[in-house]
Amino acid sequence: MFALGGAIMALGLMAGSASAQNVVNGERYVPGIWVDPDGCEHWVMDDGAEGYMTPHTTREGIPVCRRVNTCAVMNSDQLFATGSARISAAGRARLEQFFRSAGAVAYSINGHTDSRGSDEYNMALSLRRANAVAAIAKSVGARLGSVRGYGERQPIASNSTAAGMAKNRRVEIQCIR
Amino acid sequence: MMNTKTFAVLGFAAIVSACTDIQDKTVDRQFGGKQDLSNLVAGIWIDPNGCQHWIIDDGLEGYLSARLDRYGKPVCTDAYPTGYAIGSYKDGQDIADFL
Repeated sequence: MFALGGAIMALGLMAGSASAQNVVNGERYVPGIWVDPDGCEHWVMDDGAEGYMTPHTTREGIPVCRRVNTCAVMNSDQLFATGSARISAAGRARLEQFFRSAGAVAYSINGHTDSRGSDEYNMALSLRRANAVAAIAKSVGARLGSVRGYGERQPIASNSTAAGMAKNRRVEIQCIR
Repeated sequence: MMNTKTFAVLGFAAIVSACTDIQDKTVDRQFGGKQDLSNLVAGIWIDPNGCQHWIIDDGLEGYLSARLDRYGKPVCTDAYPTGYAIGSYKDGQDIADFL
């Protein structure tokens, strides 16, 4: 039956266009969408006895999500001096309090900068800042997921205004539940 | 070029294939399980690298799909032992099924 179905499709395509070069020998699979507990979409198909599933991503590999799963966004200006990855005493106290009370299984930490300075400098600075926040998480017994620096490559606001740049200077904490 | 012979073959095929071809793969046709695939309940399976996947056992079908963060990176921790599945992911169990 499957062989017959495939042959028919090829015949149909050839009959439809006299100049068709490619013959597609396939079976139609229309996916549904399942939304995971993080709010991100997956393609899902049920073929009778078999089930299939794979993440729904853009061509750039970014998951398609219906809500953003970020637990906390720390403004870098409140934690660090310009160009520094050393956390202030007030910032440390605030982070310790956060990691003690958030109650997640683990935390992933992503550092970001604004677009001033070179890309290379910002990649390194954002990673050092993410690692500084991760060290505080560890110091109060919190488990870590990934710790990454994205530099200026993932802005959430325009870098052409001071307010936008301040928003982009941030450390995001993702709670893994 | 479409001729009457092609039409006849296609027409016959449509009748035959209508009996067995499942065009809409978004609905569960098996015993047990959720009818609407968008309502599946997932657990988490930890792969040998410590990275997490959504795991669903919906009666006869099993589903597995990577858990990704908002940047498309896998979600990995040492919080759970590798090679284990956790959570209430076995949903429509009418038939005995061991992991």
